[in-house]
This record gives sequence, C-alpha cells and structure tokens, in this order.
Amino acid sequence: MSEVFLEAKGVSKTFVGVKALDNVDLTIGKGEIHCLIGENGSGKSTLIKIIGGVYKADSGSVLIEGRELHEHGIQAIESIRAGVQIIYQDLSLFPNLTVAENISINQMLETNQQGVNWKTVRSSAKKALEEIGEEIDLDERVENLSVAKKQIIAISRALTQNAKLIIMDEATSAITKEEVDHLFSIILKLKERGISILFVSHKLSEVFEISENITIIRDGKKVGVYPTSELDYEKLVFIMTGRKLEYAPYIYNEEMKEDVPLLSVEGLNKEFQFSDINFTLQKGEILGITGLIGSGRTEIAQAIFGLNKPNSGTIKLKGKTVHISSPEDAISHGIALLPEDRHHQGLFEAQAIGDNIVITVLKKLLAGLNLISPLKKQTEGDNWIKKLSIKTPSGATPVNSLSGGNQQRVVLAKWLATEPEVFILDGPTIGIDIGSKHTIHEIIRDLAEKGMGIIMISDEIQEILDNCNRVLLMSKGRIIKEIEDSRTTTEEELYDIVTRNYEVEAGA
Amino acid sequence: MKIKIKSSKNFTLFIIMMMIFILLSIVMPSKFLTGINLQSMASQFPEFGLLALAMMMAMITGGIDLSIISISNFTGVIAALILSGSMDSSTPAGVAILFAVVAVVAVSMVCGLLNGLLIAMIGVPPILATLGTQGLFLGLAIVITKGHSVSGFPEVFMGLGSGTVIGIPVPFMIFALIAFLVSVLLKRTRQGFNMFMVGANPVVSKFSGVNNTKVLINTYMLTAVLAGLASLIMISRVNSMRPGYGTAYLLQAILVAVLGGTDPDGGFGSVKGLVMGIVILQITQSGLNIMSFSPFFKKFIWGFALLAIMVINFLLHKYNEKKRIQSMTDMKKAAKAG
Amino acid sequence: MNLKKLTKKNETYLLLIVIVFSIVINTINPVFMTVENIFDLLRSSSGTAILAIGVFVVLLSGGIDVSCTAIAICGQYIAINVLIASGVDNIVMAFLISISVGLALGAVNAVFISIFNLPTLITTLGTSSLFHGLLLEFVGTKAVNVGNIPDSIKAFGKMNILTIARPDGTEYGLSIFFLILVIVVVVTWLILKFTMIGRGIYAIGGNREAAQRTGYNIRKIQFFTYCYAGLLAGVMGVMHLALIRYSNPNYIVGTELNIIAAVVLGGTRISGGTGTLTGTLIGVALITILQKNLVLIGLSSYWQEFFIGMIIVLGVTITYAQNKINARRKLSIDSV
Repeated sequence: MSEVFLEAKGVSKTFVGVKALDNVDLTIGKGEIHCLIGENGSGKSTLIKIIGGVYKADSGSVLIEGRELHEHGIQAIESIRAGVQIIYQDLSLFPNLTVAENISINQMLETNQQGVNWKTVRSSAKKALEEIGEEIDLDERVENLSVAKKQIIAISRALTQNAKLIIMDEATSAITKEEVDHLFSIILKLKERGISILFVSHKLSEVFEISENITIIRDGKKVGVYPTSELDYEKLVFIMTGRKLEYAPYIYNEEMKEDVPLLSVEGLNKEFQFSDINFTLQKGEILGITGLIGSGRTEIAQAIFGLNKPNSGTIKLKGKTVHISSPEDAISHGIALLPEDRHHQGLFEAQAIGDNIVITVLKKLLAGLNLISPLKKQTEGDNWIKKLSIKTPSGATPVNSLSGGNQQRVVLAKWLATEPEVFILDGPTIGIDIGSKHTIHEIIRDLAEKGMGIIMISDEIQEILDNCNRVLLMSKGRIIKEIEDSRTTTEEELYDIVTRNYEVEAGA
Repeated sequence: MKIKIKSSKNFTLFIIMMMIFILLSIVMPSKFLTGINLQSMASQFPEFGLLALAMMMAMITGGIDLSIISISNFTGVIAALILSGSMDSSTPAGVAILFAVVAVVAVSMVCGLLNGLLIAMIGVPPILATLGTQGLFLGLAIVITKGHSVSGFPEVFMGLGSGTVIGIPVPFMIFALIAFLVSVLLKRTRQGFNMFMVGANPVVSKFSGVNNTKVLINTYMLTAVLAGLASLIMISRVNSMRPGYGTAYLLQAILVAVLGGTDPDGGFGSVKGLVMGIVILQITQSGLNIMSFSPFFKKFIWGFALLAIMVINFLLHKYNEKKRIQSMTDMKKAAKAG
Repeated sequence: MNLKKLTKKNETYLLLIVIVFSIVINTINPVFMTVENIFDLLRSSSGTAILAIGVFVVLLSGGIDVSCTAIAICGQYIAINVLIASGVDNIVMAFLISISVGLALGAVNAVFISIFNLPTLITTLGTSSLFHGLLLEFVGTKAVNVGNIPDSIKAFGKMNILTIARPDGTEYGLSIFFLILVIVVVVTWLILKFTMIGRGIYAIGGNREAAQRTGYNIRKIQFFTYCYAGLLAGVMGVMHLALIRYSNPNYIVGTELNIIAAVVLGGTRISGGTGTLTGTLIGVALITILQKNLVLIGLSSYWQEFFIGMIIVLGVTITYAQNKINARRKLSIDSV
C-alpha cells in the first residue's frame, strides 16, 4: 500500500453496556478507495463518528498522517481541520438555501467570520463544483434538486474544506443505477487528486465495483481486511455474516394452483412510474419482485394497495375486477402491505405495541353500541405477541423499546391480524440483523405454505432467490423478465440481466 | 414504559390537586370549603371546561384549534338572537330554546367542517387554518350584531347556566356528561383510537388503512360542537352575548390541556388528566379570588403556570429518558450475566 | 431579474392583489389614491410593519412569537410611566427604556425556547400572559391621557421628513415613522443577508439538525432571534404611543394574530426557512388597507375582522392548494 493517510488502532466503544466497537483497526492509504462493510448494527457508523470526532473512543487511537487525533478530548472541528469530511446518508443540506450557500457554508463557519461575502461564497462554490467537473446553477434552491445532485453538492461542500478523506455513509441508497455510475466517476476523479475515500455500505455489488480494499466488521469486531480482487461475492457474504446461510429453496406446492389466480394485474400503467405491468399470483406462492432503485417496484406495490392511483389497468382478485382507491379498500379485499420504511410508514413508534397491532382490525373488536371492547383489544394484541414471539414484558410497552427484528414482527402482526389473502412485503428485512432475518423468512414461508399469496419485494437478489419460487425482474418501470422457477437461475445471472438491460437501454 | 411514565404524570397531577385543595381548606376553611363556594366553582368552570376538552381533542390529533372561542362567539350570537327575538314574538320559550340549540349545533358543525376541510383536504397547517377562521367567525358574529351585545332571554333558559338540581349546578352536570362522552369517544370508539394514531404519525395511519381526512374532519367538527355547547352555557350564565366575550379562555384552554398531560405534538392525552387540570385551575382561581388578588395577577399566574408545567415536563422527560436507558443497560447486563 | 423569475415569486401575485384592491377602492372613493391618504397610511402602519418584521424573523427561524404585542405594550407603558415619574421629557430616553424592556422580555422568551426547548407557540402564549399580567399588576392599569404625554413624544409624532402644502395653505407630510421603518428594513435585510447569524436563522429554519451538525450555535441564534423581535417590539411601542398620543396598557395586545397573518400572507412559511422582507411588507400593506379603508368604500368598521379572516383563509388555501398540486406533479410517492 502507498502512503498511509488514516490509521485507526484498537478502537473500542461501549454504549450503556453494549459493546459497539471492540478493538477495531482501519487503515486507509492516500488516494485509496476503501470500503467499510458490515451488516446493519455492526458498528460501521460508530466507527465513522469516532473518526469524525462526534463520539469519543473508550480506548484506541486515530492517527492522521501519523499524528494522533483527539488526544485532548473530542472535537469535530479537529477532524475537519485534519481533512476528514463525512457525508451522512441524509446529506445535511439546507433545502431553503441556494446551491452556492450550501456548498460554502462549512467554509464560512470554519473561518469564524461574522459577515458574509457573497462574492466569495459564489466563487468558492463554483470552484468546488469545477474541481469535480460539475455544473449546477448556483442560485437554484437545493430543495428543487434530485437526490443525486444534492449528493454532488454535499461532495463539493466537503471539497471546500480541503478534504483529504471523504467518508460516504450509504451514499447509494436513494439513487438510480445511472446516478451511481456518475457518482463513481466523481469518486475516481477525487482519487486522482489524491483524496482518499471511505465508502460505507452494505450493498455488496457496488463495493466490488468501486473499492480497492475492503474492511469487514461484524458485531463490532474487525473480521478482516482484503484487497477487493481477492474476494468474490460468496466469500464476502460468508465473512460478513459469519456463516454460510443454508436456505432450502422455497418449493411451490403445485396442488394449490387454481384455474383462476388469486391476484392478477393486467396492463397497469402510471405515467413516469411504471407501464404495462402484467402478472398473476397464485395461492401459496411467494412471488419475488426485484430490480434497481427507481425500477418501479415500490410504486406498483403501493398502487395495488390503494396508495398510488394508476392511470390505467385492472386488478382482479379471484377473477373479479376490484377497484381499490385507498388502503381501506385494499384491506377489505384481503390485501396487506408491509411498507418499505418501517420507521416512517410502518409503526407508531411511541405508541403501545398492542395499539400498533390492532389498528388494522378495530372493526373486529367492536362490542355493544359499536364500542371497542377493551378485553377483545387486549386479547387480540396479546395473541399476536405470543404467536410471533415478540419479546416484550407487555402489550402496553411502546414499540420503540423493541429491537429492529421485534419491531418488524409487530408490523407483520398488524397485517396478519387482518387475515390477508394477498400479502405484499416491501423490503421485509431492511435494517434487521442476520439472525432475525432468518426467522422472518421462516414466518413468511410458513404463511405461504398455508395458502397465503405473497409478493416479496427486495433489492437483495439473494434474498429473493432464497425465498421465492417465482421471480419478476424489473427495470425502468417495466417487467423485463419472469423466472418461472427460481431454482433454475443464480444471483449472478439475475444481477447481470438487471444491469445489462439497463446498459442496453442507456446505450440505445 | 411510556404508560408508566404517563400514569405517573396523572398521579403527580392528582397529588398537586390534592395539595392545593388541602392547603386552601386549611388556610381559609371558612371561605374556601363552603357549600356556596364549591357550588359557585362548579358553575364557573364548565363553559371553559368544554373549550378545554375541545382543545385537547385537536391537540391529540397533532393539531390545535385557535378558533374555538370565535365559534363560541358566533354560535352564541345566533342563539342569543333567536332567544331574545322570541321574547318579542309569542313563540313559547321551549320552542325557542329547542330552535336555539339546533341552530347552535348546526352552525358549529358547519364551522368545524370548514376547519376540517382546510386542514384535512387542502393540507393547511391547523395553526394557520384556525388562525384565519378565528377572524372569520368572530367577524361574522360582529357583523351580525353590528358589534352590539344581545340580551334578554326567556326565564327558563337561565336555568341552563345558573340553575341547580338538588344543589348541583346544571352547567356542572352538563360538563360531567360531556366529559364522560368524550372519554368514551377517545377510549372506546374507532374515531377516538384513530385520533391518537393520526396524531402520533399520519403517514403510518394512512398506511394502516385509516382515513385520515375523515378522522380529522370529524375531530374539528366535534371541537366546534363543544365550543357551540359552551356558548349556550355562557350566554345563559351571563344573560347576554357580546362578540369578543371570553377571549381569555383560549390561553386557559391550552394551559389546562397541557397541564392535563396532553402532548402538543399529538398522540397522547386523556380526559382524566384534563379534568384534574381544570380542577387545579379552578380551585387556584377561587383561592386567588378569596384572597382578593386582581384579575391581572391571575393572568400572570396562568402564564407562569403554563411555562412552569412545560419546564417540569421537559425535565421529567429528560429524567425518565435517562432512567430508561439505565434500566435497559441493567437488563442487558443481567442478561449477559445470566 | 427576468420576467420568468418574477412570475414564479409569491410576492408578485401578492403585489398584484394589493394593486387591484387599491384600484377597486379608488374607483369607489378617489380619496384613497391621494398622496395625503397614502402618507397617512404609511404613518399609521409603520409601527405594525416593524412588529411584523420581528415576527417574520422568528418565523424564518422555524418558531412563532405571539408575545410581541405584549412586549410592545410593556415597553410603551413602562417608558411613559418612567418618563412621567422622572420628569424627563426626551424621546431618545423613551426609546431607550422601551427597547431595553423589549430586549429583556425577548430574552425571557429565548431562555424558555432555546434552553428548555419548549414549543414556541405555547411558550409565547404563556409569556404573553405573564408579561401583560405583570404589567397590569405591578406597573398600573390606568391609561395616560394626552394631557400627560410628554411634549417630546407628541412632537416626535408630528415630525415629518417631507412636507407638502395644501392649496389652502395648511401642510401635510411624510412622517418620520416611515424613516424608522426604512431603517429597520435595511438593518434587518443587512443582518439576514450579510451576517453569519442571519444566515444561521435561515439555516436553523430550513434544517435544524443539519445546522447543528454543520456547527451553528443554535442556542445563540435563537437567543438573537427572540431578542431582536423583542427589540423591534420595543421600538414599535414608542411609535404607537407617539402616533395616538395616549397610552392604555390594554392596547396593542390582541392584535398579534393579525400581525402573524400579515407575515404569513406575505409568503413566509410557517415551517421556517423561507420568506422575504418584501413579502412581509406587502402582507402588512394588504392587512392595513383592509383595516383602514373599508370605511372609504362605505363598509362599516365592524366588517374588518370578517374581511381579514376571509383574506387569511383564502390566502393560505391558495398557497397550500398550490403546494398540493405541485407535489402531485412531482409524482413522488413519499408525499402520500
């Protein structure tokens, strides 16, 4: 390795009794693109916050160009002055301010000036954008820009402060493939200028594409550091998760198949979102839908659930056309949707577990005078807590005291309580540790085996292959391929189809 | 955990209430703890108690209703005109009263519907929507009366505001009945349940199949009807109606709601807490009256109490949060040791 | 600025409404568009505009301040009482006292909001009651009549920066109040545009968390914001006194919602971070025209409240309906 820029040695950090980091090392060379990879909750973000001077390490040290950082207490400003810039997932931009001001704001604060010189603001913003060969209207408000453009602004902002190491936290989670490619080209430009990049991610495919070296952490411990060329997908997964997960593929019980499918979607269209969507779902099937971000997966799920009105097309349940214009309608037709974003769409975090579960089935709890029976309410909640083994002292406990896996079980419970015939799961294991992931998959398979029709949406192709008997591949709002039997294909093949199709279209 | 914190909040309220009560009873038993004083207290608070119930309901859904006083003014003026008009004609009092009540309920429902439509259909923040309609409804009341007061109601009607049945003031009974109904609404109906959930997180409630629009429109219609009912007690007690009456109630309604444990951000609140808040406010007010403090001093006290309660809630919340993290740590430690 | 950008701006439409409105009033009663009436409007609304600018700055920071009117009356009433008691007859002294009171009370707001992190609406409702209650209880409740108002204040109220003679020889002019307003506007503009603390107000209103992460001192900015609003309320208190030559401790209080309405109509977002001084001034103009000129078109003054309510309801309805349509056009499914 060339000259070392950053070296973290034996970093440990404990939060209220939980060891978040245990003796972790990390070395990044000058101009190196390094990847930090690990499951959610493995300690990645704690590590970058220690490097950034947001948290103080309990033990260990962080050296930049051989000089120890944060010797005398932590200070974010010290890291910044040493050339470390962190771009958090939410980008920390000001939507109401212009591009120029957003880019220059850190620099202005850094110099501790009292006044604002707009000429300098514009010229330094312009310079930062030019450095990475970008051109964005300096006077445009940031709220009017796309996520990818916002990201460029965040990178430019980092450059105004003489960044020597830019840490990008989950930078690709909300942008399209095209935009990821563009981002990578910028990263390469930065590398040429001798700037190091620490790319923090849990998306393996991108890691292979961009990085030179990979540091893997698991449960707060460093598992190893490898040159990217020496790893392949399987090996990386094995190192990352600590076990080779043996999944028996889900085999569809053909006997459940009926002449008229449980759900059929015909010619569903929505301008700018998806077009000509046709597929069917049988009882007992687990149908996987996968594709890159922006491919229209979530939009279709929400259209079926009455949250996203399509322009045309029909939805049939057991052969009968149904009109679904709200989630209420969807529920009454036996359709359930586990949404993608558990925290913002799935759960009332400060409210009781029991209330979170029964909200979908209040009608069932009514007794005399159309009043909710407290007893029925309690029983319903407790039943589901028991059935899905949610670990809690009582149903009155607020949801935010539960772990991610248990929280997702509450969302499952809330929808299973409606006794759906069609259950759409959008990203059922996002942000859940590997152990709970497995249990949730088992619950889903069990439901399908008992005859529920399940649509599983995920961007983890492996998850889809392991759990679904049939797979739809989507790209740019269209279904580009249907795999009748998931056993006949491999992850590499599917990934190839998805990305190749994209490239073909982009080339044409 | 939160439930425990919340019930302990109600418990704290109960202790405060009892302490003030006992203190006043000891300091001036001859004045405070008399039948007449208790009776007068029980007939004073219901009109603003109803307004406080209304404010609480709006807050539970994560909103606020600044227009309740204006709705009271508007409906009060309408009722007053109907009632005083009946004095000149030969309409029997009973018919006039029925007419007035129906008019009040109908008009307040329309007012609430307007608030609800602005908030739920158009997406105007509740504070702005009700800021506007507040002027609108008060303006209507002023326009109708040309700014003058309306007085002279049938004798029977006065019973509503100042009568008693076996020693219990009628307004108190009305308040008790309505508080009970609101409590049932919040705890035992789908509308009530959904109000808490919409207040907690409207996106999640939408994804859970709740019709947010309907829930919010219903809520603002309910708050408006409560404001309308308050106006009936008001005009009956005062025996006249002047637009602009009762503006001080707005602050008191918010004060009592927050004091009673309602979360201004939505999702939490209870009739039990609110009623204790009202009692605390009323006995303090009565105590201050007996000690002949000026109404200005009371104004100061209400502002002070509101701020103090919020600061205490803030500190309590911080303390509980600390304890929660501590206990989670202990649990984890115990689990590891086990 | 090109035409396209102009049509995008909220202020443009608002200004159009004000102009159309003025033309309508003027056709019914040509007195409206006379220089004299306009000078008079400027004199009587300058104080309101200054109060509105204070509220505007608070709204920009993501808060709200309903105590500004209570602060203004506290400043005014304490100042007049001190002047009378001490026998000092000096307008500068009056401003100094009123501004000090305004700053102090603004600081009280700031303590609750920045240190205890309390919701701003409820906090300022509370402090409003607290301040006004204290004033009435401990300073007094009696109105000060014109006979007792110090001469310097009366003289200040009549001071003009520009005088025009009428045909009959009498004079009218542009009040010094307008000059004060201009100064306040320029100073506020300079602060907001060219100081870090001003940019900080926009920043915390736009994205508080990011502001914290970037290294803004949020407490300091909030402190400045509420103190500045208090200061402006103090200035307004004395101007109001000089305008009506009478001081009643129950005046001004109760108009706070109209002032907020003016700012919001001017396009300032209640969620913080967005809004302009120009918009605020146009909003004040709209409300003032409604308040002062209904009589000119033959409507009694009791229509005032109704019309203002109506304008607010229509204004916010149009703004938010527009937002909703725009959101739909963006086709983002996050906004369901």
